[in-house]
Amino acid sequence: MRNAVCTFCGNVCDDIEFDGVTGKNLCPIGEAKFAAKRRIEAPMVRGRRVSYEEAIEKAAEVLVNAKRPLLYGWASTVNEAIRLGVILAEKLGGVYDQCSSVCHAPSTLAMIEEGIPGGTLGQAKNRADVVVFWGCNPVEAHPRHPSRYSVMTKGFLTKGRQHRHVIVVDVRKTATAYLATEFYQIKPGYDYAVFTALRSIINGHEKAVPEEVGGISKKKLKELADILINGKYGVIFYGLGLTHSRGQDRNVENIVKLVQTLNRHTRYILQPMRGHFNVVGAGEVAAWEAGYEYAIDFSRGYSRFLPSEFTAVEVLVRRDCDAALIVASDPAAHFPKEAVKRLAEIPVIQIDPHPNVTTLLADIVIPSALVGIEAEGTVYRMDGIPLRVKKLKDTGYWSDYEILKLMLDKVIQLKGE
Amino acid sequence: MLVIRPRSDFEVNVEAEITPELATKPVEEIRRFRVYYGNRLVPLEELFDLEKKGDEEVLILEGDFSRVKWVGMGMQSGEIIVKGNIGAHCGAFMKGGKIVIEGNADDWLGAEMEGGEIIVKGNTRHLVACPYWGDLEGMKGGKITIEGNAGNYIGEKMCGGEIEIKGNAGDFIGTEMKDGRIVIHGSCGYVGGDMKGGEILIGGSFELVPAFVKMEDGFVGDVNVGGQGKVKVLK
Amino acid sequence: MLHIKNGIVIDPKNGIIGEKMDIFIKDGKIVEEVEVNGCKTIDANGKLVVAGGIDLHAHIAGGKINTGRAMRPEEMRHVRQKTGKFRAAVGRTLLTSPAIGYEYAKMGYTTAIEPATPSIYVIHTHEELDSIPIIDKATLPLFGNWHPVLRYSADKDIEKLKSFVAWVLERTKGYGVKLVNPGGVEAWMYGGNVKSIDDTVPGFGVTPREIITSLIAAVEELKLPHSVHIHCNNLGMPGNYETTMETIKLAKGFENERRQVLHVTHVQFNAYTGSSWRDIGSGAEHIAKLINSMDNVTIDMGQPIFGYATTMTADCPWQFELHKIAKAKWCNRDIELETGAGIVPYVYRPKNPVNSVQWAVGLELGLLVDSEKIAVSTDYPNGGPFTSYPYIVTLLMSRKFREEEMKKAHPYMEKATSLSSIDKEKSLEEVITMTRVTPAKVLGMENKGHLGVGADGDVVIYDIDPLNYSSNDWQTILKAFENPLYTIKSGEIVVKDGELVGETWGRTFWVDARADTTTEIIEADLEEYFNYYTVKCCNYGVKEAWLRNPVRITAG
Repeated sequence: MRNAVCTFCGNVCDDIEFDGVTGKNLCPIGEAKFAAKRRIEAPMVRGRRVSYEEAIEKAAEVLVNAKRPLLYGWASTVNEAIRLGVILAEKLGGVYDQCSSVCHAPSTLAMIEEGIPGGTLGQAKNRADVVVFWGCNPVEAHPRHPSRYSVMTKGFLTKGRQHRHVIVVDVRKTATAYLATEFYQIKPGYDYAVFTALRSIINGHEKAVPEEVGGISKKKLKELADILINGKYGVIFYGLGLTHSRGQDRNVENIVKLVQTLNRHTRYILQPMRGHFNVVGAGEVAAWEAGYEYAIDFSRGYSRFLPSEFTAVEVLVRRDCDAALIVASDPAAHFPKEAVKRLAEIPVIQIDPHPNVTTLLADIVIPSALVGIEAEGTVYRMDGIPLRVKKLKDTGYWSDYEILKLMLDKVIQLKGE
Repeated sequence: MLVIRPRSDFEVNVEAEITPELATKPVEEIRRFRVYYGNRLVPLEELFDLEKKGDEEVLILEGDFSRVKWVGMGMQSGEIIVKGNIGAHCGAFMKGGKIVIEGNADDWLGAEMEGGEIIVKGNTRHLVACPYWGDLEGMKGGKITIEGNAGNYIGEKMCGGEIEIKGNAGDFIGTEMKDGRIVIHGSCGYVGGDMKGGEILIGGSFELVPAFVKMEDGFVGDVNVGGQGKVKVLK
Repeated sequence: MLHIKNGIVIDPKNGIIGEKMDIFIKDGKIVEEVEVNGCKTIDANGKLVVAGGIDLHAHIAGGKINTGRAMRPEEMRHVRQKTGKFRAAVGRTLLTSPAIGYEYAKMGYTTAIEPATPSIYVIHTHEELDSIPIIDKATLPLFGNWHPVLRYSADKDIEKLKSFVAWVLERTKGYGVKLVNPGGVEAWMYGGNVKSIDDTVPGFGVTPREIITSLIAAVEELKLPHSVHIHCNNLGMPGNYETTMETIKLAKGFENERRQVLHVTHVQFNAYTGSSWRDIGSGAEHIAKLINSMDNVTIDMGQPIFGYATTMTADCPWQFELHKIAKAKWCNRDIELETGAGIVPYVYRPKNPVNSVQWAVGLELGLLVDSEKIAVSTDYPNGGPFTSYPYIVTLLMSRKFREEEMKKAHPYMEKATSLSSIDKEKSLEEVITMTRVTPAKVLGMENKGHLGVGADGDVVIYDIDPLNYSSNDWQTILKAFENPLYTIKSGEIVVKDGELVGETWGRTFWVDARADTTTEIIEADLEEYFNYYTVKCCNYGVKEAWLRNPVRITAG
């Protein structure tokens, strides 16, 4: 199969050639995704092998009996399944949250404050003459990003690497920094101050800026401001370096304000480097079905959004849920200890193709087909561009969609609505 | 006066939009007052022991209320005395009256408060007196006093009133503040980002964002929004 | 099967104006009188019976409205309905997908068209359309700033343009051709815009005039059911009515027996005189006169509603202006070599002189333009919520209601517009035309907007007696349009007494215009363009099998 779609990172490369076993054009992390890995063999209820139907029925009972079930994961499945997940959360009066809440949720919060002046990856490819990577490291996290979209790629108007001024700003010299025309090393926790300083310089208020901000001299800051403002079309990519350090959403809000300022002089767009291949879909689907992207509570029969309370981590740490459905994710491996402790105390249902740490504390385990290899559906790339991932081979596993469809039917039946 | 005590530890958190006015109601009505317990609406008496002592507009919360949210939401008058800790959103949208918290407070204390007074003897977490996501104005009036320390995001988009923190505070004090006054006796992190007006006084150390100009009696900014906000050293 | 008896029918397309008659629906269609034995009967004695309403321009699905939702939790907090038999529905003016379907049905509307999709995002648009219950729908892909379109227009190569349009409509399952600020959005990619239809688009040596006329020529030769649908250059700017007039006149070179050759949308935003915000005035009379004198151009109102709105359009340069004017948050998306999008929250304030002028301009257009040539719209959610259509219709019908509402507006409105001197009160027949017949005709949907045999079984019963009402009693009119006694979609009762009672799933119409074209002549160009795309040509677009209920309409 030619032009298959890779389901690993937010790049969602759509030029993979798959021969049934391995794929060509894959980066090392994409290769790992396509490589055969250990699977969950069969549906299980407390260690006992059961049919799909029985596992799903048991799961529905657990969820319906809960006072506030948490439905978490979603970034690594298709929109069709996510939509059922949101409806399921609504019907259960539970909480819908997705992986974004532990990675790029601050970007959503910044968008709520200021909006995001953004664009598609094709804009970087075709038009950008200044490309900035701020607190992100695509060479390691999104390996094909530089060659497909942002650095070496040949675009319509910007013809290649030599026509792009590439700037990397980070707290350490990352692999991506070696691609850069200029590298600026910033003191950890000082992105916010540096954005304000750049805004002050560009707005003509140099005197408000001290001789050094965030480990960068005023001279260097002025030089950076100059490069930015002299670009004809600039793209700033940012990553977890901003969303996961001191300031979080405020960092992103401030870089948005910087980009707003730059657009008063030239053209700039801003693009978060999203992680999972469909983390964008997990937010978009929830927004059209329920009005918000993540941290959504349905306990009152309608959606409410409160990131300080209804994210999976907060719900667990605050002991504010009494059952959990985890879909295509491994919170037991990635969440803080306090949160995992609560997860171990409550009934957990897992839907996933592969066994992981969460499987060890799950009461009901339901294996699913591999999205993009054994199951099809729609996913959204990091810039929101939708792509249809394909079914490349047959399987006996049920897809996330099929599992959730039956689960939703059972829940509606049990609730008598 | 109404004394409320949790009957036992809760399985999930409770959302109880109770105000002192409840204490003036007949006992039957108080017992039947509905609160959210996860996705169920239950009568107050199912989760709490209730003891009514006269018609005075006073609520006394005894025991652990750290998992009880929205206490005093929108209250207009009367008094709430919290003997221990209190959950999130305490005093949100408050218009009048008084809340005294003898322990600690969770997030969103006095969010979008318009009037009245809140006193916290212990510490508070984040987002004191802030606007909820999407709203353009934070605290508009009234006074919040925190004897201990406070977390991040204090007085964002504040338009009036006063916040006094006797201890230290975290990052992002008075971001996009328009009016009002924040006093921090101890130290704090970033101060004054996109501040348009109002006054912040700080006793300890702090990190002013690089958008303020030094004047005789302090700093004025944020220059990027043409702000006239004042950040001064507390004497 | 359904039998609606004794209703007073207004069906202007079929020449029925206030006649007592029975309507029969079978298998989702209006049929001749059939055996009524055992069939459900609704007694509509003394009540108005009309076809379901059609919204020909509402941003109800896709990246723009959804980004709007995500960036505006303050909009989504408004609770309309808790979950139960039906889905929860939330939103103040920006609604969730379930809420959109429910609210349309609750005011007697059964069809709505999403009017601006960046083709590369079209899967998303269809996913959202498929999540909207009850109504029928379609989407219009954006063409006005797409590089191949700019190139073919510059080359005056109509054959290639036709092939490209047909190829896009099939790939996107799109219904027609939408232009937004043609040329201006490409100029925005370097911070510019175009200021008139004769400005040159940077890098392409083509003018908006050439883009518009080339696309009209292509659409007419392809015989698409819907004409070119345009959001003019200079939207929002004082003095822009002249650009709008120039644009409208471009239709003069074209003819079509069945329908207009150009639909100019949300004209209120493009009908201002003046040279600045200080002397802005109404150009509605000029435009109305021009439209009424021509027989091949139609428009829709774009009526602003005092209160909250969220502006969203492919007109990026205008959105950036608005972000600066309103000092509000701003989302922008520059989209590959195709188009762009911008979103800015806005509030129309009656005490604001400019907003008052905008409010009056929309109504002037609604009153002065022949009802066969103008459709009701708010350009949802740009002018405000579509749920205000009953309010708009009532304003058009009742001078007394207008006088009440004008009292709220800034006195500058009196000076800058002629609204207060317009005595015209549109009749029930006329507003039914503006909300049913005209939009159906504009869209080329022959089975919609009327109650003739073979029409879709979309019928609404309103609590007003067409033979006995007074335009002074605006409360009765407003209440009737806000709370249909029945909304029937494809023969199913979905609303009763203003309350939702049933949930159905509508169809998505798309147009197949490939019959007289060949992709061969554009294959080399596509191959070249897709070198500059970030998705493969074969992965571009949407297949019918992915849609819930697609209906293919063959052009010609």
